[in-house]
Amino acid sequence: MKAVCWMGTSKIETLNVPDPELLNPRDAIIKITKTAICGSDLHLYDGFIPTMEAGDVLGHEFMGIVEEVGKGVGNLKRGDRVVIPFTIACGSCLFCKKQLWSACDNSNPNAHLMEKAYGYSGSALFGYSHMMGGYAGGQAQYARVPFADVGPLKIESDLPDEKVLFLSDIFPTGYMAAENAQIEPGDTVAVWGCGPVGQFAIASAFMLGAGRVIAIDRLPERLALARNLGAITVNYEEEDLSVLTALKDLTGGIGPDSCIDAVGLEAHSADLQVAYDKVKAALMMETDRPGVLRQAIQAVRKGGTLSIPGVYGGLLDKVPFGAAFGKGITMKMGQTHMQKYMKPLLDRIEAGQIDPSYIISHRITLDQAPEMYKVWRDKKENVTKIVIDPWASAA
Amino acid sequence: MSNILQEKPEAEELPKNFSAGVLVDGRYLPPPEDGDGKLWVRTSALIQADAQSLYALWRDVERAPTWQEQIVSVVPTAPTTSHWVMKSGDSTIEWDSEVLADISGKRIAWRSIGGDSDNAGEVIFEDAPGGRGTMVTVLQEFRMGKIASAWETFVGRNPKQAVIENLRHFKALAEAGEIPRAQPGPHGDRGAIGSAKKSLYGENVAIPPAKAS
Repeated sequence: MKAVCWMGTSKIETLNVPDPELLNPRDAIIKITKTAICGSDLHLYDGFIPTMEAGDVLGHEFMGIVEEVGKGVGNLKRGDRVVIPFTIACGSCLFCKKQLWSACDNSNPNAHLMEKAYGYSGSALFGYSHMMGGYAGGQAQYARVPFADVGPLKIESDLPDEKVLFLSDIFPTGYMAAENAQIEPGDTVAVWGCGPVGQFAIASAFMLGAGRVIAIDRLPERLALARNLGAITVNYEEEDLSVLTALKDLTGGIGPDSCIDAVGLEAHSADLQVAYDKVKAALMMETDRPGVLRQAIQAVRKGGTLSIPGVYGGLLDKVPFGAAFGKGITMKMGQTHMQKYMKPLLDRIEAGQIDPSYIISHRITLDQAPEMYKVWRDKKENVTKIVIDPWASAA
Repeated sequence: MSNILQEKPEAEELPKNFSAGVLVDGRYLPPPEDGDGKLWVRTSALIQADAQSLYALWRDVERAPTWQEQIVSVVPTAPTTSHWVMKSGDSTIEWDSEVLADISGKRIAWRSIGGDSDNAGEVIFEDAPGGRGTMVTVLQEFRMGKIASAWETFVGRNPKQAVIENLRHFKALAEAGEIPRAQPGPHGDRGAIGSAKKSLYGENVAIPPAKAS
């Protein structure tokens, strides 16, 4: 089959690789009909994530048709249409039982690598380094899905792929960010970062009753999408603009009730010396990014909530914890507990409350993917979201 | 290498009374430290299953190849003894093992009694506080001293890490009915460095059950 492979920093190739096979009884093989490039894939592209190796198949946002199931999968059959969550969860450990799916104990075969870096291991992810499990990803024509009786969401309606594809990651991630923000009716919510996750956090904040949403970014195309959702936008690159002043001006001086950091700092660290130095270097290059966390802590009102869907991976410097304590704020964060949100959010899509496909700017083939990684990384062509049809051939 | 592995320092029995336990009279006990030619490892897991069924799975030595790395066969030779065969690449080592203590649903202790491995261990099963499953604690001892690195070269894992991984596999099998595996999966050309890193990541050690090859 064809697959998008990471071959080194800033080096991505579409290659012919072997088809996946069933390895465990609870596996399924999915013929992928649509897949997407995630903003977090750009950090793999830039080489910030340790334990990526040449040849790794990328991609964690995908959906398709069930091709084959193992003998332990009773709820799916060949021909079923499914969206696959990016986190892999067993459904039976303490954490899965508590609906903390992204903390699953039993899905990461390389948990020891995570334990060396962080002292614990969360669930495995598709196509996101060997530390996160070493599973082949979904920017390909087929994928093997472990614990297929727990993760995949069956789509029984005739909604087009593009309307349900983002249930694989970014819509639930944005929604959980809004839920973690503990929004009460009428609240003012500030969202840093208007990429796909920020977009769905804004839309979800309105769904959960926000009275006003303030969207902060620098890219005009993203800010325009945010305004279309009804948000007030603040472009932090405008001359003489202070985000903190803007947020005070827009809240009568008290600050937003909730702040959502949808930017994060998507670097992971490993105990391996080389990997650790690599992460340290990445942190040094990304000093503006912990800036969002600092700013959000400074901005949020007394007793307010800070929700962090953006990924942090290491040790943060100069976080104003005194302000956080003094104001008595609540912080909630973490990888998305996908399996908890997919079905309720599908219901919202089916009810016509949201059409997540509005963020798509580019539709491409697998062969075009390597080039489009570069285009998106370099913030060209007004990319907001790239969707791949793995069976299309370039015109 | 087989000669090195057969070198056998003076063996002694494990303490008789629940030495894998982490508590005595309400006080926490740290794990034993390495020394005198012995490596110790103590590890624990909270497992969502009852103590009796976990005890039964562990005690069924013939099922060990389904969750212990590189164990290809275990044959009972008497009610309390068994013969173990471990395979790594083209090399095979074998030893006999004897159960020293066996309290149904609570505790199993064992030691090797000859062959290519000199180890002893104990596992205890305790109800977790609040009815949140079973705490399984393993204490294992390897008498190998400086030959640990030779062992590591042979099996591809530090023996301590192997005990930790085996308990992880045991938990996954008990909770999820299978042990997670990502290899072999589709991938492009890994090049020389990528292939070498398989060993660094522990991916050269096959997830059980080992394929008979």
